[in-house]
Amino acid sequence: MDHHLASDSPQVRPRWRKVAYGGMQPGFDDNHTDESFLEGMVMNANVVRRDMLKVMLDSVSISEYLCIVALVVLVWTYTLESTIDENRLLCIDVSLLVSGFLILLFTREKISLSILVHHYFLNISFFIMGLYVLAPIYQTLTRSISSDSIWALTVSLLVIHLFLHDYSESTVNAPGALKNPALTSCISVNASVVASVFIASRLPSRLHVFAIMLFSLQVFLFGPLVTCCIKKYSFRLHLCFSISLMVVTLSFVYMLRCLLFVLLLSLLVFVNVVCPYWLIRIQEYKFEINGPWDEAKLCFAIRD
Amino acid sequence: MDRKKHRIMMVSDFFYPNFGGVENHIYYLSQCLLKLGHKVVVVTHAYGNRSGVRYMTGGLKVYYVPWRPFVMQNSFPTLFPSLPIIRTILIRERITIVHGHQAFSTLCHEALMHSRTMGYRVVFTDHSLYGFSDAGSIHMNKVLQFTLADVSQAICVSHTSKENTVLRSGLPPEKVFVIPNAVDTAMFKPAVVQPSHSEIVIVVISRLVYRKGADLLVEVIPDVCRLHPNVRFIVGGDGPKRVRLEEMREKHSLQDRVEMLGAVPHAQVRSVLISGHIFLNSSLTEAFCIAILEAASCGLLTVSTRVGGVPEVLPDDMIILAEPDPGDMVLAIERAISMLPKVDPQVMHNRMRELYNWHDVAKRTEIVYDRALKCPNQNLLERLSRYLYCGVWAGKLFFLVMIVDFLFWRLLELWQPAEDIEEIPDLTLPHISNKETLQETE
Repeated sequence: MDHHLASDSPQVRPRWRKVAYGGMQPGFDDNHTDESFLEGMVMNANVVRRDMLKVMLDSVSISEYLCIVALVVLVWTYTLESTIDENRLLCIDVSLLVSGFLILLFTREKISLSILVHHYFLNISFFIMGLYVLAPIYQTLTRSISSDSIWALTVSLLVIHLFLHDYSESTVNAPGALKNPALTSCISVNASVVASVFIASRLPSRLHVFAIMLFSLQVFLFGPLVTCCIKKYSFRLHLCFSISLMVVTLSFVYMLRCLLFVLLLSLLVFVNVVCPYWLIRIQEYKFEINGPWDEAKLCFAIRD
Repeated sequence: MDRKKHRIMMVSDFFYPNFGGVENHIYYLSQCLLKLGHKVVVVTHAYGNRSGVRYMTGGLKVYYVPWRPFVMQNSFPTLFPSLPIIRTILIRERITIVHGHQAFSTLCHEALMHSRTMGYRVVFTDHSLYGFSDAGSIHMNKVLQFTLADVSQAICVSHTSKENTVLRSGLPPEKVFVIPNAVDTAMFKPAVVQPSHSEIVIVVISRLVYRKGADLLVEVIPDVCRLHPNVRFIVGGDGPKRVRLEEMREKHSLQDRVEMLGAVPHAQVRSVLISGHIFLNSSLTEAFCIAILEAASCGLLTVSTRVGGVPEVLPDDMIILAEPDPGDMVLAIERAISMLPKVDPQVMHNRMRELYNWHDVAKRTEIVYDRALKCPNQNLLERLSRYLYCGVWAGKLFFLVMIVDFLFWRLLELWQPAEDIEEIPDLTLPHISNKETLQETE
């Protein structure tokens, strides 16, 4: 019996184990690669499979914001050319404020008239009074700087604002829910405010300055809140609003200058059609590797 | 059968007088290779005013090349100016194999690049795990791909580390050997008189940084102290997270139950370990944890997070693994406390002597060196074509870098020919020159 066992033993070697202790495993070299090699590897576990239509619909919010900024620039251009006088501008401001309030009232579920009056109305009136009082400062701010520098600065600030703007829904939340805005969204808001100040400082009278500042700040500071509420309320409403906004903007820009119309149209097509297609194409190359070698993630938040 | 004796140059940014996993590995491996009859030379950067050539125990020659460390103990990455000094050292010492350590070390990558240009055989050992997705890891992996495109053999310290290295660098798995670290069991002996079990002492010795799981400690220690009134903690080590641990101590009034020792010098680690019963390791990532080996050698039962290569390090009856989650770790500590009466430190120490041994590591490394020397010596064009596979743009960049390196080497050969560089005679110490003594001690 023992002789049989002795003759069998050279062919039966112990199984290879994935352990580091005990020295070299008998019968196996140190560079032995077992079938279980890389069996813990998981590829592309967290990758979201994107659908072309959904990406295109999501990119509508980006083009909506581009159109809003284009409209603001349009109003600035008309005001600087004195096509719109200050009274008209004030009417635009008031109508924007009222429509903004109405949209908020209808689309916010938990809002009631008393909260509206107490919180928003009071704050807005303080804000408007403050702007009116400070208007003379803006009027003489850039008197000694040439116009070319101002236009160049404004354009670059607006470009920075568009690049760093937070296009996801969490830009401006309900009061008290502002959690840790990213650095880039703070920079973009500041860039837009400074651009408005530069434009306002080019205008002749105090009322002009007040009206244009109110208009610009209304759009840049409260615009994202309004569009966010519309989007949360109903996607269809958001889609209709965006498309009508795009049409209105394109027609106004066409009336101003043909070249700008072509530029804006190509930009909107690029954002809405070309970029989603590009994103879906390069998603195929995504290669995410996870496995037992990853650093463990803590499941609790570190409270400092 | 008399094995051929190699002349090895170990190169890394991390060496004595710093203490750490890589430093200890290089030192002990070099000492064991010296005892086997090979010649070992270590090349590292200068530490403070410790610069020039030094000799350590056993005739280990260390070249502290006069470069200052730049960031995190690494020397400044100068691609080509390091070629003359590396060439001089290689010719003077008549080196046959160059062995680089640690992917994070710039000196290692440069030395391996120059050694390959000059036609020497090259072995690389990787000691850490890296990710794939953040910017630092992506750059590091690209550099590693460059170095390992033309390496003779590679060594990893655990099987998980081998999988990680193969994925990061694209090496064929047959080229990677798994040779773990070991522990100096003569230095880490259990206490002669065991501390009594009336009060259970849990020891933690690690750098208090995020990567080593200091935040997990902050959550686990109060829970364990609350559930087990007879448990005490000793925390050794320093780092940015020490403040959080001190705050935790204050908040839960654990000053008499949690003792913070601060940074523990390497020579005193054993005395801290033998005062405890259980060793707690909470790291979030670990290729191979030497601290666990030291604790097991001192007879402590280990509780650790199940990350990286830790499950491969100790057999199941010497270690209790838990997920990196505070609740699971508390349960694991409870299980360890209940297992404690059955654990005999001396038996554990004797088992560790069987399981891990630096001489065994040196013998297995010798096999890798023999294999490396058998690799065919390819000519320049074949070698350069390997670099083109590293990437669309990176491949061509690496190709250019290697061509410039080759031309620079040729220029140096003309300007400072190899015949003019004096070769150093070997320093033979008495215990190595006497072969009979060597066989007696084995």
